[in-house]
Amino acid sequence: MHSERAPTAGLAVNFAAYPFAWARHPAALPPMSGGIERQRHPVAIVGAGPVGLCVALGLASHGVRSVLIEADDSVSTGSRAICISRRSLEIIARLGALEGYLRIGLPWSGGRSFYRGAEVLRFTMPQDENQRLPPMLNLAQYHIEQILLDHAEQLAEMIDLRWQTKLEGIEPLIDGARLRLATPLGNYRLDADWLVAADGGRSTVRESLGLAMHGTSYEGRYVIVDILLDSKRPTERLAYFDPPCNPGSTVLVHRQPQNVWRIDYQLRDGEDADAALEPRNVMPRVASVLDMMGERGSWSPIWITLYKANALTLDRYRHGRALLAGDAAHLVPIFGVRGVNSGIDDADNLAWKLACVAKGQASARLLDSYSDERVAAARENLAYGAKSTEFMAPPSFAFALMRNAVLGLAVKHACVRSLINPRQTSPIAYTDSPLNRALDSSREFAEGPPPGAPLPECPLTIAGGWAGAEPRPGHVTELLGPRFTLFQFGETLGIPGELQHLERTLNARGVPFAVVPLLRSRAAGGPLLHAWDHTGRLFPMYGAAADTLYLVRPDGHVLARWRRTSAASVAAAIDQVMNCRGTQGAVHD
Amino acid sequence: MTEGDLDILYTQLCTAMTGLGEANASLFLARFALLAIARIDDAAAARGLIADAAEQLSRAPA
Repeated sequence: MHSERAPTAGLAVNFAAYPFAWARHPAALPPMSGGIERQRHPVAIVGAGPVGLCVALGLASHGVRSVLIEADDSVSTGSRAICISRRSLEIIARLGALEGYLRIGLPWSGGRSFYRGAEVLRFTMPQDENQRLPPMLNLAQYHIEQILLDHAEQLAEMIDLRWQTKLEGIEPLIDGARLRLATPLGNYRLDADWLVAADGGRSTVRESLGLAMHGTSYEGRYVIVDILLDSKRPTERLAYFDPPCNPGSTVLVHRQPQNVWRIDYQLRDGEDADAALEPRNVMPRVASVLDMMGERGSWSPIWITLYKANALTLDRYRHGRALLAGDAAHLVPIFGVRGVNSGIDDADNLAWKLACVAKGQASARLLDSYSDERVAAARENLAYGAKSTEFMAPPSFAFALMRNAVLGLAVKHACVRSLINPRQTSPIAYTDSPLNRALDSSREFAEGPPPGAPLPECPLTIAGGWAGAEPRPGHVTELLGPRFTLFQFGETLGIPGELQHLERTLNARGVPFAVVPLLRSRAAGGPLLHAWDHTGRLFPMYGAAADTLYLVRPDGHVLARWRRTSAASVAAAIDQVMNCRGTQGAVHD
Repeated sequence: MTEGDLDILYTQLCTAMTGLGEANASLFLARFALLAIARIDDAAAARGLIADAAEQLSRAPA
């Protein structure tokens, strides 16, 4: 939770503004009858932050309209999320908004930790020649939201944005929910078949439903300061433990675009939080950090916040017709940057399932798998987040003592350095998901992602997709779309008749599905979307040979894989997802 | 032992020490050190570890 100190007039300290122009959006009232909006919505999403916007964009990509309710009149301000992971970028790419992120964001792949004056750890996140996207990209949350918003505004017929509209209460309906909304122009009610709560850590939806999160709240406090500073320093994560400039404290430094820098420093036990947030107390501590780093340029504070780590989650994210996502469902510590990234992953998992259910293609039970998979992911994120927090904000004398031992030994002894690694967010596999299929045939593979795992990235040459398309360099994740994708590994371009038939049958039923051939080498092809393994790395990475099939979900997680199989077993796997049969996990088919 | 094992053991040690309380911490670590020396079963190696553990402290300010 944050308590924030925005720029205040009349202070001796001169605050700078964030280098961003907030567009203010007016409130609007829809056509109503008797105080209730005439139109009933398939999906209402509360909260137009990164998670709400990603859910809306995801639904739109599957052809499902939504109404997006936002209490504020603009994208967010203040010192919020700044690190977007590779997995999040992959999702954003599928939503069609990647370009803006790469244009504004600062990519980075590692960092350094110091103890007193000495460097004790240099870490790198996984980065190799197979990757399409950087492991991490820094940009401010107002940019994160604005880029998604710009994209959503282009889809106005699919995404109905309601600014300055505050949720005041929820009345359950038999087959949906009625929302009580307040705007400066007046109040109204709105009916929706499904409700998505993406309204943040203080979620009104969560409170209205009487749901409580469980877990750990940490006592350690950090002051988070965004400053404007002109510096040519590279983008990396810097951590200073017990630095000469701030003895006994821990300091973190992150670069953001446009000369904004994030400086986090830990308060000592017993330090008064209100006093610590006063600019006259913040300025000298930031100045001493910059001095230690050798930064001599002029700088100004922009925003000052107090942070305490929480590691909390709801036990379930589906409650009847309501689905909770992002901070409304779980609060993970900032250390390891799992907050917004886990929320974007929630949105990606939820959007295709909710679209299938809203369109009547899937049983509502499919949404229970959203809860199963994302609660498991939250527990994994919380376990890592807790480890990071125990190091960054030791919760007892013992954790503090052991940390000092590690840091002191790490100068000379490499064997303990892994304990300092900040455990940055990494993609999560839904290993125990009830949706995973064909587990026996998966065991025949020596390599490659098993059911539940996300796709490992690999370069390839993409061809076809439309008439006259030229072959172009690409990556395997670029072949995904808002559909089930069957990757057919092989030597030749043809798709067997029974798979062509399956594609036609499923598409006629409205189930989005496409077969995409992945070839060992270039083949003369027409407009059919396909790709070939020009590096020779794809087939071994996926443990694939001719006739190998990978069935991939719309969110890029593997559903099933076979060395060789019939169209009937592919059809059965998709059918079982849509009907959510065999929800006990280990279904063998 | 993997890095993951080390991580888990580190947390177990911290949690155990937290439970015993600060007053018992030195004695707890002393007992652990003795058990570790016995288990290492290599006088030269143990002598080296004693020197390494002390060296850092002698260089650090109080």
